[in-house]
Amino acid sequence: MNKIVSIFIILFGGLYCSCTDADYTLGNKYDPSNMDLNPPALFFHPYEINASLGEQISVELYGYKLNPAAAAQLDIRYDWGSLKVDSVVAGPFFTGNNDAVEIIVDEQGVLDIFLYYLPDMESNESDEGTWSLATIYFSPLSTGESELLYGQNTQFRDAQNDTVRINDYGTGLINVE
Amino acid sequence: MNYQEKPYSTILIFLLILLLVQVGESTGITKAISYKSDNQLAVLPFEGRNISDPLTSFVTEEFRNAVRSLKIYQVQDNDITERLEIYTPKSKTYWNCWSVGCAIDRGRKLGVNYVIVGNVEEKEDAYFINGRLFSVDLETLVNEFSLSSFSDADSLLLELKKLAYQVSGLPVPDTLGLDSDTTRVDDLSLNKNKSRFTLPKIPSKIKALIMSTALPGTGQLWSKKRYSGYGFMSTEATLGLAALISYYQYDQKWGNFQENYDAYLKGTDPHTLLEYRPQIVQYAKESNQYNSYMKQIRSVAIPIWIINMVHAYIVAPNDDFFDGEFFFDIEYDPNVNQVKTGFSIPLE
Repeated sequence: MNKIVSIFIILFGGLYCSCTDADYTLGNKYDPSNMDLNPPALFFHPYEINASLGEQISVELYGYKLNPAAAAQLDIRYDWGSLKVDSVVAGPFFTGNNDAVEIIVDEQGVLDIFLYYLPDMESNESDEGTWSLATIYFSPLSTGESELLYGQNTQFRDAQNDTVRINDYGTGLINVE
Repeated sequence: MNYQEKPYSTILIFLLILLLVQVGESTGITKAISYKSDNQLAVLPFEGRNISDPLTSFVTEEFRNAVRSLKIYQVQDNDITERLEIYTPKSKTYWNCWSVGCAIDRGRKLGVNYVIVGNVEEKEDAYFINGRLFSVDLETLVNEFSLSSFSDADSLLLELKKLAYQVSGLPVPDTLGLDSDTTRVDDLSLNKNKSRFTLPKIPSKIKALIMSTALPGTGQLWSKKRYSGYGFMSTEATLGLAALISYYQYDQKWGNFQENYDAYLKGTDPHTLLEYRPQIVQYAKESNQYNSYMKQIRSVAIPIWIINMVHAYIVAPNDDFFDGEFFFDIEYDPNVNQVKTGFSIPLE
């Protein structure tokens, strides 16, 4: 009898359940949706970096809702008086079963990164979506602000060597103190 | 042969006639017995105050026997009378049926001509018995009686006998004595409530209201309105179950929402953030949907709950507080076709 009463109390207790509606704001500053970019787009992540002298800085070159691409030339412009490129590491966008083929050309503030998807018989020839394309490691040379830009030579090609459209380009800012 | 056969046939006819007469007489007797007596009396169980339940029952039964022995009334057996318990279950008290209307109603339900209601109280080492005799046929109070006796068994039982004479309208004989075992009274009186502190009596309607407020339908069940009781209970239980299922679903979705939203707020990887985004929207939508279900269920359940409370109050037995020590009552009076309210304060 007590069990039955307990069951009823639990059942009636259900009527007293009071819950709140889910209230949320998708305002994370690193969310590409909040960056005023019209995809497919390229941006720097993080887009603003505060660092001090002697500290290594890493910036990801990010693709936002990119269409299938098999190769890319990323033309990065930076203040070569303030920053020095230490290295570039290919990101997961062009990494499938095999690591991407990358060629780096750094010449007086213009960093050209050539990335090629290396397919095989079992994998796709291209990839798509929102992924990191590559990570650039800088060393600050002097204090001050340094802007990062995608140059006009930046381009993407698909597996048929056709141009992949990019609508928008983000910018980056490195502040060395 | 013919001469000898005649006496046999005469004897046979005589016997046959005798048999027929006997059958006819016995039929008449049966009819006479089956006639309903106009003196059927039901002694409703007395209410005990500061007195143990067994002693109260004992006093009631002794009083029944005393009245029965005087053969003025046909006193209904206690097991028949106490069938009335179905109208006020879990309560052995009929003190609350102190008015004419209530007593007549119960008398009719018991199919008797007279009803006695009363109470027994022990106060300062003395027993006090109050009672009322109602005529069901005349729908009126016939006699009101009371006695007090010292708290010893002999005195109490003797007074009960005197009371039986008084109720039966007979003179109390001077030679009235005890022929009953009085040791039980002493034994039973030891069984009375250890604590003299008792909570104020809750009127039946309020009790039913409280019960149905706490658990829908229980007030009705207590009032023996089973169908409505189970109806309210099952309706609310069904709604409660639906609300619980909704809550369970809500809880799951809310958990997922919180997990994803927290990760989103703390996250720094654009790829992951972009994956969280639709999940957050989806879980938020679903949790809000289940919350909405709960609100809708509650909006249906609460009016039903309130109706159940009002219904429990209405269907609960009426206590007739006007004549008792209770302070408030609402009662429908069919004579004037109005609902009347009463308010009284005991001066004792």
